[in-house]
Amino acid sequence: MQTSRARLFKEYKEVQREKGADPDIQLVCDDSNIFKWTALIKGPSDTPFEGGVFQLAFAIPEQYPLQPPQVRFLTKIFHPNVHFKTGEICLDILKNAWSPAWTLQSVCRAIIALMAHPEPDSPLNCDSGNLLRSGDIRGYQSMARMYTRLAAMPKKG
Amino acid sequence: MDHDEEEEEEDEADFYSGGDSDSDHLDLAGEPDSDVSDDARHQQNYSVLGEEDILQRQEDDIIRVSNVLSISKVSAGILLRHYNWNVSKVHDEWFANEEKVRGAVGLLEELLVEFPNDNEITCGICFESYPCDRIYGAACGHLFCQACWAGFMSTAIIDGPGCLMLRCPDPSCTAAVGQDMIDKLASDEDKKKYNRYFIRSYIEDNKKTKWCPAPGCDYAIEFIVGSGYYDVICRCSHSFCWNCTEEAHRPVDCDTVARWTLKNSAESENMNWILANSKPCPKCKRPIEKNQGCMHITCTPPCKYEFCWLCLGPWSVHGERTGGFYACNRYETAKQDGVFNEAEKRRETAKNSLERYTHYYERWATNQSSRQKALADLQQMQTVHLEKLSDIQCQPESQLKFIIDAWQQIAECRRVLKWTYAYGFYIPEQEHAKRLFFEYLQGEAESGLERLHQCAEKELQRYLTATALSKEFNEFRTKLAGLTSVTRNYFENLVRALENGLSDVSSRSACSRSGSSRSLRGKGSSSRGERSKVTFAALRSIGRSSSINDSGHWSCRHCTFANNNSVTVCQICRQRQ
Repeated sequence: MQTSRARLFKEYKEVQREKGADPDIQLVCDDSNIFKWTALIKGPSDTPFEGGVFQLAFAIPEQYPLQPPQVRFLTKIFHPNVHFKTGEICLDILKNAWSPAWTLQSVCRAIIALMAHPEPDSPLNCDSGNLLRSGDIRGYQSMARMYTRLAAMPKKG
Repeated sequence: MDHDEEEEEEDEADFYSGGDSDSDHLDLAGEPDSDVSDDARHQQNYSVLGEEDILQRQEDDIIRVSNVLSISKVSAGILLRHYNWNVSKVHDEWFANEEKVRGAVGLLEELLVEFPNDNEITCGICFESYPCDRIYGAACGHLFCQACWAGFMSTAIIDGPGCLMLRCPDPSCTAAVGQDMIDKLASDEDKKKYNRYFIRSYIEDNKKTKWCPAPGCDYAIEFIVGSGYYDVICRCSHSFCWNCTEEAHRPVDCDTVARWTLKNSAESENMNWILANSKPCPKCKRPIEKNQGCMHITCTPPCKYEFCWLCLGPWSVHGERTGGFYACNRYETAKQDGVFNEAEKRRETAKNSLERYTHYYERWATNQSSRQKALADLQQMQTVHLEKLSDIQCQPESQLKFIIDAWQQIAECRRVLKWTYAYGFYIPEQEHAKRLFFEYLQGEAESGLERLHQCAEKELQRYLTATALSKEFNEFRTKLAGLTSVTRNYFENLVRALENGLSDVSSRSACSRSGSSRSLRGKGSSSRGERSKVTFAALRSIGRSSSINDSGHWSCRHCTFANNNSVTVCQICRQRQ
């Protein structure tokens, strides 16, 4: 508990100091609980998520950083490795490939990389995975772009 | 069961060769000689390893690889584990492409990052600063503090044996973290667990070794793969099949055992009501629980009705008609017989498969519990009765070993017999001749065993309760030892014949001598001519042993019992010499 709090506090200070260093990621610690964080990440360019801003929620276990944080999308997203209803993410570094040397910042970078390079063979969203696996790239991109417009972009007018 | 080899060979000679008065004797496909060598191989194809042996072997293998490849012992351990402790595979792979192996296993030749010159170094996990003598790294040079290392190792060790493949915590680094690091940085408790996994890996990942599956047993068995039968006996006396780790199950194969076990678990619900532990006495209907080993049940007074536990028929009719004096395995016959009680009649008339299964399962389970009982009796004999008997009969205990031998043989026979019921269940319905042959062999086996059991249990009782030295004790010794050896040989032959799939029945067709077996003549007519004759011819060579050429004894042609030359009537079955 003490170790994880100390480590999170280090990360918090690092985030304050480096504010704006990475324009794609904005990490925010909950005002009252250092074990709850949120992040805003920008959809990577040349993907159907370009132009969208996606919100992530972090729940950090007491054994952090020996155990990985639990991360999910709060913003609806159409992506084969993200559960369409709950926002749960299927990513190896958040499961068995976790290393205590990862940080919340590096997790965000990994998630951005996942958005650009989906893994349709281990899908949480089967519809999305099937579109990619059957080679219907246009279908996948238009669905993903539609949901980005609907959920991850400011409403026009 | 440890009969020494010499005795074994002598027995083989006795019961296989010479003095064959049966001139119409026909050989089985397997020649006696090949069987003997088969058996000799069987004796040596595995060894039992205690913890000391395991540690020693593991250490030897590590040192060997360490010397040949000129790498540290820790690295050798990591390499061996990666290649499932196969020393020659490690050598081959290493000398084929050392660089590739190093990459796959995580053995680095040089630091990936230089050791910083600062006094204060930041731990890569907690981001705290530490003086350079209190921060540690694997061969790669990624540095972490002691507390973070310990936590990292602990998390991996709790996760299971995967901790043996631990890599540096840095996400991009593949450097292996070996036993030396664990010893230096993990907590004592974690070190102990890690070492446990390390030893277990040597047995579990190795293709040549397996743990004995008996509860609480710490021995492992090393088996020479491809060397014959899988049945092994651990030093804890548990006997099991090395291949599938189920209990020993010769003569049936592992697939059959798996199918049978699955069937038993699937149908156990149905079996429960049938197999409640008691049966009603066929005469007075009082429930009887079987708590003695053999199938001959005598109801308590005043009823005193004697009957067969298996078929519930009166004991007095157990003779030729049921396929041997003590046997009762004739399911087919039983179906036609009309002398059984309600429950049996229901089994007789019903045609569905559950009924058939019930028949085999019941006998399988009965033999199982008889075996447990025999093992308990053996224990009792060794701890209590033997000493008492030794006092009463004025015999040193070492000379009473024949009694222990007999009980061990009984337990072994029960085991074999038990599995013959699984075997019987899976003989295809249409292979009538095979089934008939099988049932005959099984019947003979049962009667032989019952004879032995009867002798070891009931007859021995006389000498146990005697108040003074009994004159007949030596005769009893000869009889019991003879029965033990005859039964052992019969069962060994039976196991081999069944393992061959009773190939005599299907493969031999030309040679025939009809009517050579009195006891089967009646039934033979029900199957078709040629094949049934073959059956008789083949079974003679298994079912009947030739006479003993050892001086002073003659073997009964009817029941194979070794009689003293001084008598002319068999002491067991009362047939003339």
